[in-house]
Amino acid sequence: MTFEWSIIVESLPSLIEGAKLSWYIAITGIVGGLVLGTVAGLMRIAGTRAVGGRTYGFSLFLSRISQLVAFGYIELIRGTPIIVQAMFIYFALPLLIEVITGLRGVRFDAVTAAIITIMINAGAYMAEIVRGAVQSVNKGLVEAGMAMGISRLQLIASVISPIAFRRAIPPLGNQFIISLKDTSLFIVIGVGELTRQGQEIMASNFRALEIWSAVAICYLIMTSALALTLRFIEKRMRKI
Amino acid sequence: MKPIIEFRKVSKSFGETEVLHDISLTIVENEVVVLVGPSGSGKSTLLRCINGLEMVTSGDLVVNQIHLPRQKRSVREIRKEVGMVFQLFYLFPHMTALENVAFGPKKVRGFSRREANHIAQDLLDKVGLGDRGHHLPSELSGGQQQRVAIARALAVKPKVMLFDEPTSALDPELREEVLNVMTLVAQEGMTMMVVSHEMSFAKKAGTRLLFMDDGRIDEDGDPAELLLNPQTERLQNFLRHVGY
Ligand SMILES: Nc1ncnc2c1ncn2[C@@H]1O[C@H](COP(=O)(O)OP(=O)(O)OP(=O)(O)O)[C@@H](O)[C@H]1O
Ligand SMILES: [Mg+2]
Repeated sequence: MTFEWSIIVESLPSLIEGAKLSWYIAITGIVGGLVLGTVAGLMRIAGTRAVGGRTYGFSLFLSRISQLVAFGYIELIRGTPIIVQAMFIYFALPLLIEVITGLRGVRFDAVTAAIITIMINAGAYMAEIVRGAVQSVNKGLVEAGMAMGISRLQLIASVISPIAFRRAIPPLGNQFIISLKDTSLFIVIGVGELTRQGQEIMASNFRALEIWSAVAICYLIMTSALALTLRFIEKRMRKI
Repeated sequence: MKPIIEFRKVSKSFGETEVLHDISLTIVENEVVVLVGPSGSGKSTLLRCINGLEMVTSGDLVVNQIHLPRQKRSVREIRKEVGMVFQLFYLFPHMTALENVAFGPKKVRGFSRREANHIAQDLLDKVGLGDRGHHLPSELSGGQQQRVAIARALAVKPKVMLFDEPTSALDPELREEVLNVMTLVAQEGMTMMVVSHEMSFAKKAGTRLLFMDDGRIDEDGDPAELLLNPQTERLQNFLRHVGY
């Protein structure tokens, strides 16, 4: 048994195809998850002191509802394995839609299901990161902003977010990397991502050592690219 | 002498504990009210009720013709007219001194960036920091930060300024520069409420001294007179305690 470099060279085109798809699913899912997570994270603490103090009347009602919805979403996702979420979205969601709306034949292709899964899964964890980062912003700063008479939205946009964002970068980076690696689970719904490409090549030539080494290195390159990008963003921001 | 802040039998509780008891107090325009009292007597709470950072529990608090708690949804309108300076400055750490001061004019008063920067530069000049505009708060001394914080509050063009122990987090040698700025603001006719144990400021710039104890206003009078001739034993003890 020797390490055959030629095997890697041969399988590289397929592996790169797989890596591209993994990257595409991860990045699209992460971006969507970031939006979803920011919204859910803010909803989770709507109307509390961390985002500008208590509300009254109808807005109080709205903030309670938001908190409840966000809480339910976060706990549902954190409490179930991502592989079950992927299966559910790919196989069960179309049936659920049919049961609820009577629409038959609504189906996502596997890649779309994969992106939605990453989005919803990462969104829940990022919501907790966003919540933590926002709550870590000094209450005095929030009060100083409120005391000037700016609106809640302005307060969140101009004061809370820039400060919270800096705090959130390291844990967000961590979640980005987890999500990227989670794309390997989509082998179970037949997505031709990197792990599946490796598996298929392996099945035809049985060169486990070369193929899995190459696959691992491909993941390492992608996670490093993510980590470096985040470090770059962090460096470019004003130190506070 | 137009009343601008009126407490009418106002009480404030946190949960079960009542910390302000049935306060009645009228502040008219141009008054410079210095508020003293032992720790926990409710001075900060009284100030924070005025701009709605705390909501009064009962009674009627009228600030610039808006009634709390009845019109609590209009609390933002009050805040635009009532500036506040905090013990720990709380400058926005990601903004330069100039950006901190320009923030209010831009976001609250709707000035353009140019106009807001102009207003901010003038105010920084006024508090003696015209050449520090491009520095981040972390690059300024405590005294400088507090002067920027005063400029930031003034930039919104409020009718009233509240100060909650603006010098007590500062080293003694930095207090004077802040008190001088406050004196200047008072001389320009700003209505002010100042929680402070700086008796020199009370005598020099204050027009009225309030002594609070246990959620009540126990003494209310001319600063020089009260300091010379405190009526209650509690105030006498308190003055001795703060080294006056
Ligand atoms: N958010 C809060 N929740 C519960 N109790 C509070 C809260 N804020 C203040 N209190 C209580 O209200 C009382 C008055 O507090 P306040 O901060 O107004 O006093 P103070 O006169 O400003 O004191 P100090 O000189 O120490 O700043 C205290 O007994 C305090 O424990
Ligand atoms: Mg206080």
